Amino acid sequence: MNLDSAKPIAGSVDSTDPACALPALILLVEDEPVTRTSMAARLKRFGYRVVEAGNGREALEMARRERPELIVLDWMMPEMDGPTFCETLRRDPSMKSAYILLMTAHDQPAQIAEGLARGADDFLSKSASKEEIRARVLAGLRTSRLVRELETTAAQLASSLLLLQTKQAEMDADLQSAASFVHSLLPPQGSPLQGVALAWEYQPSLTLGGDLFDVMVIDEGHLGLYILDASGHGVAAALRSASLMTFLRAKNILQMLGSYDPEKVLFEANRLFPMTAEGEYFTLWVGQLHLPTGRLTYAAAGHPGALLCPAEGPSRWLTRATFPLGINASAEFVNDRVLLKPNDRLFLLSDGIYEVPSPSGALWGRERFQGVIDAGRQRSLSETLAACFSEARQWQQAQHFPDDAAVMGLAVTEGLEESSHG
Amino acid sequence: MTITQRAVKEATVLDLKGDLTYSNRAAFKSAVEQVKNAGCRHLIINLEHVRFMDSSGLGLLALLSQTFKVQQAQVSLLKPQSYVREIMSLANIPKMISIYETEGDALAVRAA
Repeated sequence: MNLDSAKPIAGSVDSTDPACALPALILLVEDEPVTRTSMAARLKRFGYRVVEAGNGREALEMARRERPELIVLDWMMPEMDGPTFCETLRRDPSMKSAYILLMTAHDQPAQIAEGLARGADDFLSKSASKEEIRARVLAGLRTSRLVRELETTAAQLASSLLLLQTKQAEMDADLQSAASFVHSLLPPQGSPLQGVALAWEYQPSLTLGGDLFDVMVIDEGHLGLYILDASGHGVAAALRSASLMTFLRAKNILQMLGSYDPEKVLFEANRLFPMTAEGEYFTLWVGQLHLPTGRLTYAAAGHPGALLCPAEGPSRWLTRATFPLGINASAEFVNDRVLLKPNDRLFLLSDGIYEVPSPSGALWGRERFQGVIDAGRQRSLSETLAACFSEARQWQQAQHFPDDAAVMGLAVTEGLEESSHG
Repeated sequence: MTITQRAVKEATVLDLKGDLTYSNRAAFKSAVEQVKNAGCRHLIINLEHVRFMDSSGLGLLALLSQTFKVQQAQVSLLKPQSYVREIMSLANIPKMISIYETEGDALAVRAA
């Protein structure tokens, strides 16, 4: 069996880059023709491809053009000597990692130090044996390949990162535009109708929130109001919320049900918005305020409720235990009623405003929230809302809430009866 | 949240520790899925060491009760802390899933 017949060149096994079909390319820089020819012949016998340059200047051009895996370089040359070639090449960013083997006739420590300092990677004595030359070239190629792989990987990473950043920026812009759309759905602050003042604060946990609320004029005598909370977070929750909000529009409800009767609205919503396969659902609080009398009719579906803060006396929660929407097809929702008087305030809120943990894990809670509302009677509606948010933030010692936090405040600014008659 | 599974008589108990919230839903779902696929007829969720539950957590319990109902299997809740009990009550969860104070009570009802 003749193994050599398949591999006539002894060094061919060493010389082939496993990653590419061609043998490694070496640039040989040597001004002395006889030395150059014999070295080139030796390297070729090892199985490498060799390109030759007679001086430093020529070599620079060739290095940039051919991008050799290894440069074998003579120290002493006219026009540009070896170390100067190293320095010049290293200034070129694309050549920073080229592997340079510097040949020298007299390998004194001081000279070696100078060569390394000026940019060479290793040394090769001109009197080196065939085995040493072969070993140093192999070692150099190993390093050179590793460096190239690193460079390729780094370049791929950089382009992947750029791609990701571009995609992320597109998504952020999309989210921002969706968020500003959702914001545009919320009621304008101020006075939706004479005799009623409205203010709200809203901080979604992510850019897009799943809590939405509205106040709308149903007809001359009625104001409709609601707050909804989608379980879950982010885009999916926001989309579901927006669809429920569309359902809750005055025009739609009046067309479907003939009135904005809270228990009927909840009954219908419970039918139309079943819990998703992921277990996501809504809670909803709906109210209807009869302006001439100040009578508020309301019903809740699993919603923690609204807080009534009368001009005098303690505040109280307007809710009862009921199923959230879509959890029980035969759930029943019942209207409750309360009379609003001048200077009474009504707050619709999502649980995200008081389910706020302190760094030790204790929740801010409904009672503390209620305390801020009670203490805010002397302050304006918007100041009271601002106080709720700032105290909740202080409690958790962080700016952003873990869940969407929304509070909408309504105040009866004058006698509803008087304003509606006059 | 950590979830530990153990068998007690004819039931399987999941001992929950931590918060049952939106961010822990995957862990809870996979634990329940595992128990369900094993053919469990009575699942007891031990809430003794659950300090907080958000709306997603409530949804998970509601979903759990629905899927077990379809399979004619039973779900029970065990020893919720007062806050968790309060928010479960607001969402009417006790009308869907029975709540017990001891494991023995939960097991006894099933046997009866």
